[in-house]
Amino acid sequence: MSRKKTELAKGVEGLFVKNERFNTTLISCNFYLPLRRDTAALYALLPFILTSCSKRYPDFSRLNYKLNRLYGARLDASAEKYGDYQLLKMSVSVINDRFTLDGESLIKQAVDLLLGLIFEPNTENGAFCEDDLAREKRKAIEHIKGEYSEKRIYAKNRLVEEMFKDTPYGVPKCGTVEDVEKITGEALYSAWQKMLETAFVRLNVIGAAIPQGLFDSVSEKFSALSRESITDCRISQPTPERETPLTVTEGMDVSQGKLVMGFSCDMCGNDDETLPLMVMSDIFGGGPYSRLFANVREKLSLCYYCSSSVIRQKGLLTVESGVETANAEKAKEEILNQLEAVKKGEFTDFEFDSSIKSIRDSLCGYSDSQTSLDTWYTLKVNNTELYSPTDIAERIEKITREDVTAAAKGVKLNTVYKLLPKEVSK
Amino acid sequence: MKKEIFESDIGESYVKAVHPSGLRIYILEKPQYTSSYAIFGTKYGSIDTCFAVNGEETAVPEGIAHFLEHKLFESEDGDAFTKYAATGAYANAFTSFDRTCYLFSCSDRFYDNLDILLSFVQSPYFTEQTVAKEQGIIGQEIRMYDDSPAWRVMFNMLMAMYHNHPVRIDIAGTVESIAKIDHNLLYRCYNTFYNPSNMFICIAGNVDTDKVLKQIEKRINPVDALEITRITSPEPEETVKPYVEQSLAVAQPMFCFGFKEKTENPTRTVKERICTALLLEIIAGDASPLYKRLVNEGLINDEFASEHFNGYGYSAVIFEGESSNPKRVAEEIKAEVERLKAEGIDKKLFSAVRCGMYGNAIRMFNSVESIAMQLVDCAMSDSGLFDDIKYLKSVTVEDVYRRLSLLDPEKAVLSVINPLKEN
Repeated sequence: MSRKKTELAKGVEGLFVKNERFNTTLISCNFYLPLRRDTAALYALLPFILTSCSKRYPDFSRLNYKLNRLYGARLDASAEKYGDYQLLKMSVSVINDRFTLDGESLIKQAVDLLLGLIFEPNTENGAFCEDDLAREKRKAIEHIKGEYSEKRIYAKNRLVEEMFKDTPYGVPKCGTVEDVEKITGEALYSAWQKMLETAFVRLNVIGAAIPQGLFDSVSEKFSALSRESITDCRISQPTPERETPLTVTEGMDVSQGKLVMGFSCDMCGNDDETLPLMVMSDIFGGGPYSRLFANVREKLSLCYYCSSSVIRQKGLLTVESGVETANAEKAKEEILNQLEAVKKGEFTDFEFDSSIKSIRDSLCGYSDSQTSLDTWYTLKVNNTELYSPTDIAERIEKITREDVTAAAKGVKLNTVYKLLPKEVSK
Repeated sequence: MKKEIFESDIGESYVKAVHPSGLRIYILEKPQYTSSYAIFGTKYGSIDTCFAVNGEETAVPEGIAHFLEHKLFESEDGDAFTKYAATGAYANAFTSFDRTCYLFSCSDRFYDNLDILLSFVQSPYFTEQTVAKEQGIIGQEIRMYDDSPAWRVMFNMLMAMYHNHPVRIDIAGTVESIAKIDHNLLYRCYNTFYNPSNMFICIAGNVDTDKVLKQIEKRINPVDALEITRITSPEPEETVKPYVEQSLAVAQPMFCFGFKEKTENPTRTVKERICTALLLEIIAGDASPLYKRLVNEGLINDEFASEHFNGYGYSAVIFEGESSNPKRVAEEIKAEVERLKAEGIDKKLFSAVRCGMYGNAIRMFNSVESIAMQLVDCAMSDSGLFDDIKYLKSVTVEDVYRRLSLLDPEKAVLSVINPLKEN
């Protein structure tokens, strides 16, 4: 599996990951922009409205019809956080031409479709059309509200919001309902222009070959724009330490509570620096062999699930668990006890080896999934070296127990968020 | 072992083998891939609460299949997760209405992992103490599902749809029903449904078929085949009630709207499955006129989806999503079904969705997990992995139109989860 990076225009990278095992080709166009309270909702709406219609397909239903005709070509849109930046993704995935029944060529059509959606939206007089705007705004608002229904997501979002109050990372990834309501067709049009002119752009192609003409077209389109100041998304502010941890408790009509804890890690950024943290988090609360699973869940039965994960761009470690109210405080104490144990190196060789093997095994499997590869390389824009998952798997094997305890020593509790049941209103 | 090779014109082929015990084995090799996915499963799920072996009838508590799944990970010589930890594989298991599956995925040491899988699934170890402890853990899992609106909206609908069929019961059972489970009952269920003749192994990925078959042959314990009879009370064609609602902490109402269907046979054929899938796209897929109308009127969003819900002795067509007005959505779906019955199906739309589904069937072969899961479907319904692709080439608009007649608006059920009222 080879990979090749090409500079297509100022601040526009084309990356081709050659992989011949798939029946499909995936092309994703990624825009990196600063995450800010006043623009988050605007930017987040763009990938969705742009992939719902265009000049050529002003009616979303016709666009969906076309995707069916392209043998179920898949169009995806997302807006995520990438450290202190917003990552807007629009992608198309289509089956390779050799599978079509009548020898039709799909890839060229899929490329034209994606570029048409991004560069020629359905706009009039410098504004997005009212109907499209109203439809996408409603869907965005319902999506933001919908996160309230999924308590696990809601609790995690609330932790991050409280923990990073008044900083870019504390801004919700799609803005707030109020922000979305305020969006006008004109404002969205300028946001679209700003996205094309100022975002750092990464075009990923994962498949057997680069579709003919794709890199040239993209290069041409971006070179025609005035791209003077490009977003530098390489560095995010690390999660700050907090002297006295913050505790936030909320009541809700639920039968089971959620306990989420956020930690600063005293390190953040690229692969080389954060690999020990990745292993540390896995020993602490990764697989079934981890300290949290084995002790907090299995041995003490304090919660139904309890796991930790790391956002490396931010140097943020979070622990999520589902708890009964009566056990919440005990679970919190036990989670902190386990962290202390890892800091002191009180984990067995078995736990350490299991972690290394599990991370390694899962990284090696990335090459079997186009979306995993796309996500992997989308999150690798800040590294000078473009490591593949297999490269990292090899490096993981070199991590030592000392690296892990050293990484653990930098982990400090910052915020505790509890979502607990209140008396159900009758 | 009896071995059969199935080939296709999309460059994929697989082997089906039958072990003398009756265990069926399906293997699809993906030599270009790094990883592999393996499933050891049994035709045994939450609906199997009453059965007969050699004429002897047994009724067991609701949720026991799921309970057994949890307990099987423990063997006398330790926990299966600990064994997998030594290889680095990802391991899991799930219980659904009609099946229980134990699986792993790995990119290294496949044969060691297969050994672990074969060994722990064949080594039950249930004691009074371990059963009591699990009752607590599963109790918490049940409570977690009580808070899940997506789970509740579905089961509320099934309870309103089915009078007797056990598909109406929560897969994990209830805190009360699992309290009745003891180790003797678990052994009885195990010895019935975990008989190799009721089981299957499905594997996709970077493996060597002959080597896998040899290993399985060596590791399957010889047991006499059993004749299992599933006992179900007769299920009336009518629903229990047409509407059910509950209030939970959600921001917007959620709904699940289903048509209960008559089932002549306990299982569905390839033709029935494909025609239903195409029909769902034609009624409410994202290129359909109904979908366009519902979106434009602000009645549905991207959460909207449809599925053919079917298994042993049950079949229903279900539409689900979020809506400010679920009752309106249900009425619109009923009206669209009536319109299609009267006016027929748009040929261009049929041909487009058929093309889309064909592409998706090809796309499925990208993922070893999807292939292994689909092989499980093949084992459950005794069908072939390439049947869908073959049938999609010949299916006609008339076939799909005939399928439409099974949807009876008189047998529809709407389930709604409403937001809680503020104090």
